[in-house]
Amino acid sequence: MERIYIDRQLCEACKGCMLACMAKHNGENIDTLDLLDTSNQSANLIEQSSQGEVAPIFCRHCDKPECVEACMSGALTKDKETGIVSLDQNKCAGCWMCVMSCSYGMINKDTNANVAFKCDLCKDREKSACIENCPTGAIELIEVGEGRA
Amino acid sequence: MVKERCTSADCRLCEFLDSKPELETSFNREPKQSVKCGFGKKGVCCRLCSNGPCRITPKSPRGVCGADADTIVARNFLRNVAAGAACYLHVVENTANNLREAGLGNYATELKGLEMLDELAELFDVEAEDVNEKAVQVAEKVLADLYKPRYKKMELVEKLAYSPRLKKWKELDIIPGGAKSEVFDALVKTSTNLSSDPVDMLMHVLNLGISTGLYGLHMTNLLNDVMLGEPEITQDKVGFKVVDEDYINIVVTGHQHTMIAHLQDALITEEATKMAQDVGAKGFKIVGSTCVGQDLQLRGAHYKDVFAGHAGNNYTSEALLATGGIDLVISEFNCTIPGLELVAEKYQVKMIAIDDVAKKTTAEMLKFDPAKAPEITDKLIKAAVESYQNRRSKIEIDIPKDHGYDDVVTGVSEKSLRKFLGGNYKALIDLIASGKIKGVAAVVGCSNLTAKGHDVFSVGLTKELIKRDILVLSAGCTTGGLENCGLVSPSAAKLAGDNLREVCEELGIPPVLNFGPCLSIGRVEEVAVELAKALDVDLPQLPAVLSAPQWLEEQALADGAFGLALGLPLHLALPPFVTGSEIIVDTLTKNLPEITGGQLIIDTEIESAADKLEEIILDRRSGLGL
Ligand code: SF4
Ligand code: SF4
Ligand code: SF4
Ligand code: SF4
Repeated sequence: MERIYIDRQLCEACKGCMLACMAKHNGENIDTLDLLDTSNQSANLIEQSSQGEVAPIFCRHCDKPECVEACMSGALTKDKETGIVSLDQNKCAGCWMCVMSCSYGMINKDTNANVAFKCDLCKDREKSACIENCPTGAIELIEVGEGRA
Repeated sequence: MVKERCTSADCRLCEFLDSKPELETSFNREPKQSVKCGFGKKGVCCRLCSNGPCRITPKSPRGVCGADADTIVARNFLRNVAAGAACYLHVVENTANNLREAGLGNYATELKGLEMLDELAELFDVEAEDVNEKAVQVAEKVLADLYKPRYKKMELVEKLAYSPRLKKWKELDIIPGGAKSEVFDALVKTSTNLSSDPVDMLMHVLNLGISTGLYGLHMTNLLNDVMLGEPEITQDKVGFKVVDEDYINIVVTGHQHTMIAHLQDALITEEATKMAQDVGAKGFKIVGSTCVGQDLQLRGAHYKDVFAGHAGNNYTSEALLATGGIDLVISEFNCTIPGLELVAEKYQVKMIAIDDVAKKTTAEMLKFDPAKAPEITDKLIKAAVESYQNRRSKIEIDIPKDHGYDDVVTGVSEKSLRKFLGGNYKALIDLIASGKIKGVAAVVGCSNLTAKGHDVFSVGLTKELIKRDILVLSAGCTTGGLENCGLVSPSAAKLAGDNLREVCEELGIPPVLNFGPCLSIGRVEEVAVELAKALDVDLPQLPAVLSAPQWLEEQALADGAFGLALGLPLHLALPPFVTGSEIIVDTLTKNLPEITGGQLIIDTEIESAADKLEEIILDRRSGLGL
């Protein structure tokens, strides 16, 4: 199965990945993306660590996902084969248990609806939008063996 | 809950900001912008053509067109400097034009600095006898230079520059042709698929530095002296305490002091005072903010009644409006930050722009024209009265009267300092020679929120320098910060090293000499020239250094280019957006000493920056046999 691998050293904090993610999620491309529209939401984040270093934060699609554990409605599931932790917004009850349980803060409230919102690794696309738009190669999909974190 | 915000060296300002949780200022926005784009920071993003934006990475070392990092960085940098030079040249152009119109009798304002007018007339070989005719001819000489084509050298450079420098500049072929044309061709040169030569572009940067320094800064000061009166050393109040809610208070943001020459005299006439009294105020005051406030403070001896005192620098302006005590903002140039509009709206402060280069979205446009000054003044006064009437009953006034100092020493210029020293610079040179003062450091320029926080680096560096017996000269928003943190008051002497402290206490001066607005960086550099002349050496031999720790904008880069052309070491706490090019970085930081004698020093830490500056000073001292 595949995971997003982050090389912090390569990240230039251009936020290109965030733009791509926003565009993907609202069906736009970056050129037409309205950056003043606060309902545009990105599943990934480029932050600064307390030491002042750039810290790209992406959903880890954890081996033992706390969010899935916490979800009572069955909206969050981990695919055994692909490893992807995905969210079915139709089943989401908006209880925010997952939001509170993720230690990386990678699942959040959807800005447009009363349901959760998270990275789905762009499973509907050939290549994840963020990776496609990263000019430095700081984020990549790598193959990891079964059971590796 | 206290909102996240960037910090300031000015603790009382921080407290004030935190006491207003509903207020959003630059201080709150800064943390949200703290993740920076690496390509932009390094200067390796190019958007000159439709093949772009191209960004340089290890996997893509050239743009589509073939431009490499050096070319892209050099083009971006020269464009920045050209824009900065353009800004200062706009100021000197308007200032000269206002003087010309005053001389022609079209601008109803009295010339307050006739001694300076005579000096300039003599320097420029103007033979007219009549004061007004003299003013016209002096102004026209300046304007004529600015408007020359690029292939004609500006004539006054020969008269304004220190001769060893002139020689150097001739050798390097960087004496500017007509200043505006030089800016124009900098844009041509850096456009798509024109110059790719980083070294040629850096030489153009130095060339623009010379016109910025000699004309944009130095000449503007002298023309301002003619129109508004020469600086005289005096003491004044600073900080939010200067705001008196009993008056109708006007804040002017910008750098073009001559544009308000008519207004500031009209505000204290009986007629205007009566208008203010009719609506329940005691009269009108101009509250100092940004560089025009520093300029008013500098000339405060001539503006005792109308000038309330200087409240603070660029990034203090939003908080200043949030005191509720300000009724009208007049914008005429930069450092009118866009965030001001949001605060003005919240506190119902009327905004009027009098130069369209500083037109704010929410401001009314009332274009300044010297010939219509009385009419414009009238409208501005009425707008201030109306705003006062509309807003005062609705807005809470909360002025931290304990913010600031009462005894800031101001009015220092190259001339007033000479006078203070007894007619020449010998006294200062003796102090330097004896080691009582190790050397001088000009800590100048802007304030930003990113070099450790608002005024944090400037204040920290200044404290380190004075502790080491290095006399600090300051100008620009840096000074605004130093003033509000107490370093420009005589009591700051106790923070200085023993030797400098003794000198300060004996003379009753602070260890930081306040030259006023950023335009006065030209005056500070003039002091360096005077010292060099007196010692009969060139500038790179002087125990003098320059630091613009918290440089903010393109103008500062153009200023800095002048410092480098003058042959001074220039420290910056944040690098300009050039670090993506080895050639540019090496030329500025390593090779420049061989070229102009100047040197760029980037150091992001206060102590090590002070160490480096001190080391240079000590080195120069031993070079002079001191
Ligand atoms: S949201 Fe958090 S817990 Fe859930 S898969 Fe992602 S990182 Fe793991
Ligand atoms: S993989 Fe898809 S959903 Fe996840 S951050 Fe990238 S673009 Fe967004
Ligand atoms: S696109 Fe890549 S380099 Fe840019 S911020 Fe995202 S992870 Fe970093
Ligand atoms: S000018 Fe060259 S480097 Fe710049 S955007 Fe065009 S192709 Fe790219």
